Amino acid sequence: MSQIKADPNKVSWEESEFPILCETCLGDNPYLRMTKQSQAKECKVCTRPFTVFRWCPGVGMRFKKTEVCQTCSKVKNVCQTCLLDLEFGLPVQVRDTALGLADEAPRSDVNKEYFAQNMDAHFQNTENGLGSGGFGKAESAGREMLKKLQRTEPYYKRNRQHICSFFVKGNCTRGAECPYRHEMPAGGELNHQNLKDRYYGTNDPVARKMMSGPRAGGGKQMSPPEDQTITSLFITGITEDIKEQDLRGFFYAFGEIKSIVVVLKSKCAFVNFTTRMAAELAFEKAGSGVNLQGVALRVSWGKSRPVGARAEQKGVEAAPTPAAVMHALETGPPPPPGSKSKFAYPSQDPTYQGSTR
Amino acid sequence: MPKIRSSRTKRAPEGFDEIEPTLKEFQQKMKDAENDPHEGKRKVEALWPIFRLHHQRSRYVYELFYKRKAISKELYEYLLKQGYADGNLIAKWKKAGYEKVCCLRCIQPKDTNFGTTCVCRVPRHTLEEGKVIECIHCGCRGCSSGSGAGSSSGASTSKDNDN
Repeated sequence: MSQIKADPNKVSWEESEFPILCETCLGDNPYLRMTKQSQAKECKVCTRPFTVFRWCPGVGMRFKKTEVCQTCSKVKNVCQTCLLDLEFGLPVQVRDTALGLADEAPRSDVNKEYFAQNMDAHFQNTENGLGSGGFGKAESAGREMLKKLQRTEPYYKRNRQHICSFFVKGNCTRGAECPYRHEMPAGGELNHQNLKDRYYGTNDPVARKMMSGPRAGGGKQMSPPEDQTITSLFITGITEDIKEQDLRGFFYAFGEIKSIVVVLKSKCAFVNFTTRMAAELAFEKAGSGVNLQGVALRVSWGKSRPVGARAEQKGVEAAPTPAAVMHALETGPPPPPGSKSKFAYPSQDPTYQGSTR
Repeated sequence: MPKIRSSRTKRAPEGFDEIEPTLKEFQQKMKDAENDPHEGKRKVEALWPIFRLHHQRSRYVYELFYKRKAISKELYEYLLKQGYADGNLIAKWKKAGYEKVCCLRCIQPKDTNFGTTCVCRVPRHTLEEGKVIECIHCGCRGCSSGSGAGSSSGASTSKDNDN
């Protein structure tokens, strides 16, 4: 792919043989059919023509294609479609603040093109490792934090179809054969994302959310319990060695435990107390961290989950009491589809923490 | 070739007069489909009725000759020549596995990215739980021989009760 250019300022078009992609974007199927089109689109960042690769990342997924050119993706070490870091799968802003990288990629017109052109030549010459080479001491602390923020499993939900805008307005005439999702979009800050912002690592709502979350929040103690009705603690850092018994043995001293739910997949556990006092006491004593089986666990309050159907129906607390659950279980089989309740089973309700037993 | 009759054109073979009303109706429907406004339809969707009628018309002739044996070979060949039915499409229907092919575009591998046939050729049981598919070429919802497509592409037709 390296061409000998007589004039360093001469613009030659990008040709590449394989895209730079993360595993999630490629999908779960190891067999892929991909189309390649040279100079099919302009890069969303540097607006130069580049080779577009298009493939289907799995059954029922939308076809994904490369959005930015290889040069731009090498500059920031990101996947060409999702613009997340290739190593961690995290937004550029998160990675840069953690590792202290201050990348000076220019953003304005000619500057941008000049920079891209130079990077192009640079990569053609070096052609080996992407991203930073050796890691200094400051970086390894950052890398630790990034490792904690990483996802454990590939998040294929981002390969789903886009939301049908006609459905949102209420008039999708395609009906059953509509290939777009017929769901209402989740509102909030995350709706307004901008590709340029995500790429340059400025003003990224996802990054902001990640960095203010409990895991990355540094040593700052969580503020005293907010919603008075929450009686559960949220433990993170759970590994396979830690069993429910261990948690029970530690937390029973603070008060009667209603239930313990361990979710190994996301390395977390919920400890639900019967009384609010017990939960507060537990947080007071153990809030700064628990050490079980040699593993340091972080303790925080169970967050009041986003409002679900149950909360909407009852209009009461976020977490239903056992009595409510028993009532729901005893009122016979789930209602037929098409009835008012969105969830047929209590366990489908996102606000319900723990199990139904 | 024009379907106009004058004193110079050859007479149609016998038996043509019985099927003529049906053919005239197809012709009329085709004209309507051609003149339909494109409002409210996708770009590809505007062409679907054309393909559907073409399929139906050819199907009618095919069934008359091959299945019901209601017309003579002479009349059949006359119909093909005059453009009342598509000989190429009928040739496909004679092959095993292609009895219900919707249109010739959907079996053309050169039209696809990976050299395959259209999605409507996939048997229904393999395409499980996937929702309703309307292929982009002709709006077909499944024309493999095992998917119960019937003799028309897409939803049920208003078949004439002639013959």
